[in-house]
Parts: sequence; structure tokens; C-alpha cells
Amino acid sequence: MLPQWMCAQDIDPVLLQAKARLDSVQSFEAGLKLSVDISFVNMSPKQATMTYTKGEPTTFSSEDFVLIPKRGLDFSLSEIFEYPFMTVDRGYEVIFGRPCKLLNIIPLDKRADFSIATLGVDTVNYSVMKSEISTKKDGTYEVLLSYGQSNDIIPGRVEVSFEIERIRIPLQYMGKEIEVDKSAMKMEEVKRGRIILDIEPALVELVK
Amino acid sequence: MKTLIQAELYKLMHQRMTYFALAAILVIEGIVLVSAYFQGSAILDILLDNLRESFYFQGTLLNGHLMVYLILNSLWFHLPLILMIVSAGLFTTEHKERTLQMMMQQPISKTHFIISKYLVAVVFSLVVIVLLMVSSMMISYSLFGTGDLVVYLGTLNFFQSAEAFERIVLAYLCGSLTVIFFSVVSVTLAIWVRDTTIAWIVSAFFLIISNLLLKVDLGIDWFDNYFFVKLNDTWQLLFNTEIDWSHIYFNNALLVTYTVLFMFIGVMIFRRRDVA
Repeated sequence: MLPQWMCAQDIDPVLLQAKARLDSVQSFEAGLKLSVDISFVNMSPKQATMTYTKGEPTTFSSEDFVLIPKRGLDFSLSEIFEYPFMTVDRGYEVIFGRPCKLLNIIPLDKRADFSIATLGVDTVNYSVMKSEISTKKDGTYEVLLSYGQSNDIIPGRVEVSFEIERIRIPLQYMGKEIEVDKSAMKMEEVKRGRIILDIEPALVELVK
Repeated sequence: MKTLIQAELYKLMHQRMTYFALAAILVIEGIVLVSAYFQGSAILDILLDNLRESFYFQGTLLNGHLMVYLILNSLWFHLPLILMIVSAGLFTTEHKERTLQMMMQQPISKTHFIISKYLVAVVFSLVVIVLLMVSSMMISYSLFGTGDLVVYLGTLNFFQSAEAFERIVLAYLCGSLTVIFFSVVSVTLAIWVRDTTIAWIVSAFFLIISNLLLKVDLGIDWFDNYFFVKLNDTWQLLFNTEIDWSHIYFNNALLVTYTVLFMFIGVMIFRRRDVA
């Protein structure tokens, strides 16, 4: 059941269809392969298990030390749908070979955690293929989602790009002295990082 | 030669200083381990601060591998210092107690005699390194378990547990060449100065200067790359993501060459000196 504000005419029906599709997932468990792509981090791909249950925080488990992105794994788009918003049609774009409608999401409530979001929604299967969310506190992050089968609800691969500050550590900390190029450091204070998640859903339970 | 080595080992095992040294090393290891536990938490906070804004962390990095790595980082001054005192003592004690003169009146080769002292210093250094490695691993892994290791060498390098263990063992092996180098140097310095106290002071001075120069880059190729003080942290190269084996082999071969050179100088000084 959608909240009343969500039934307003200024919300694009394609987004409502996508939301309804996402809401059909009651729970799922998936194996993850996490690959980190950050210039100052060298980490081999890690395996983890992800468990999602509707209305509960998503949990992760792994035998290794893994980095789980804070943003981009909100498959139910709960962050966007939490407070009233309006959508603005930004046209169409082909993403991963699928025709997608681009929508700007503008929150109408000050409590919303983001200032603007852009979603690319597949107009045939109503899958969210892309999102770019400008948060109020954590900068902008982009999520690209690709699916194994066109009618899959859970994506097979998620790429989350985000802004990250370069690491600043006193010289001689933890080992050999590091040569510091101050001008390069200034230029590279904020970099973009990326984490790629290859997802293999093992158990998906849909709402009956 | 074999008899001489056995005799030197016997003397080493029956002097109180050896056991004081071993006890001191284990006490230092314990102190470093306790401080590593508290320091480790602070270091991880600083290292992972930027990542914490974008990621949740699953698993812990404050584990036995980090403890052993911090011990590795901390001991390359204390350990050589204690081993240099013991190694220098192999010669200066005999000189002080005048047993050296007695030995030289026996029908034994001066070269063999002094080389046996060097070899015993090398063996003792290796035994201490193995003792330190085994004890640090046993304590760290039993108290803190294993897990991924994170090392900061310009970039944050994460190693999975099995790989971290391999690299730590290799680092100890590589580091043992550094410790052997300093032990050999201390025997040479002891042969040169003869007096026990002066030998300890000169050895400590040599170690301090070496550690200071290790951190100085003069922009001179031979100094920055080939001078012996610059070879003493070669073990750190084992914690780069891609290991530059040729660089490690070269540095270690060069350090062995320096070690043999210092040993040769010591033998020459001893041979030319009228001990009896």
C-alpha cells in the first residue's frame, strides 16, 4: 500500500511501477563478490553473504574483512521514498542496451537526506538501471545496476561510485617513510572511488 | 674448526649475559605487544577514517597479524642492540678475562678461532629471531586470532590471512639478515676496540647512526640505494601489493656482501694483532 502523497499526479507512473516491483521482494539471500576500485586501496576481491528482509536493515557476513558501501545497496529505494517528493521527466537514455526513462527526484520535505536524485528506469521491465543521488552530507554517489535476465528483480552487478577524500597519514606511520608530493596531494584531495558487487541471489522470496 | 665452534657455543650457553639478553628480548616483546594492542586500535582509526565515511566494515583488522606486524616494526632497533651487546661480549669477555691470550698459546689457527666467534654470533642471532617469531606469533594468534592484515605504504594494502602469514614469515627471514649484519659488525668493532664498555658504546653508536641514516635520502644514488644503512628495512618491501623480488634479492645479496666484508675486516685486524 503506497502512502497517500505517493499517489499524487506529480510522481511519474514509471517510478511507481518500479517501486511496486521492488516492493514485491519480501526477502532474499545472495552471495557477493566485492571488488574495490579506490586509488589508494589495494584489496583483492572478497566474498560475502548478503541477507535482505523487507523492513529490516540488510545484513552482511564474511570470513574476511570486507568493505560494505553505505550507499547504493538500498534496493527498495527506501531513502528516496521516505518523504514526499516530486519527479521531473528528463527524457530517455539507453542504459546497458535497455530504453530507460530519466527522472529527477526532488524532495519536498526538508527532512529528506538528499537534495536531488536522478533515476534511470527501464520502461519495459521497470527495473532501476541507474541512480545518481546528491546527499546533503555524504556528497554525490552514482549506482549502475545490470541484470542477468531482463525480468530479474535483483541485479546481477551493482557498481557504486562515490567521492572519497585522500588518506592523510603522518610520515613514518606504520613503516617506511613515504615520499609526499604536496602539490599532487592538494589536487587529489577528493577522488572518486568505486566498488563493484557481483551478486548471485540464492534465495528470493516474493510477496504473495 | 668444528671443535672451536662447539667450544664457543658452550661458552655462550654458559654465560649469564646470554640469558639476561633472551629475557630482555622477551620482556621487550611483551611490552611492544601490549602497546601494539592499544596503538593498533588508534592506527586503524586513522588509517580507515576516510573509508569509514563511505563503508561499513565487516570483520576486524585488530588481529594477531597486525600485532605481529607492529612487533616487526618495533623490534629492529631493540633486537640488534641486545644482540650486538651479546655478540661483542663473545670477544671482549675473553679479552678482559685474559683467556684470549691463553687460547692463542694453543696450536689453533687465529683465523679459525675468530671465524668461529662470528659463526656463533650468526647462529645466536638466528636462534633469537626464530624464538621471537615463534613467540610473537603464538602469543598474538592465540590472544587475537587471525584475519586480514592492513599495511600503509603510501597506499592501504590489505592482505588476506594466509597471504599475510606468508609475508610476515618472509619478513622475519629477510629481517634476520639485518640482525646478523649488526651482530657481525659488533664482533668486528669488539675486535677493533677490545674493551667491553667501549665496544658496547661503539656498537650502540653504530646502530643509532644506521637507524638515523636509514631515514635520510641525500639524492645520491650509491648512498640511497647501495649503502648498507639503506638495506636494513628491505623486509618492508614484502608488504607492497606486488612484491619486487629482484629488488629484495639484490638488497639481501648486497647486505650479505657487506656482512662478509665486515667479517673479513675483523679477521684481518685480529690476524695482524699480537694477542699473545
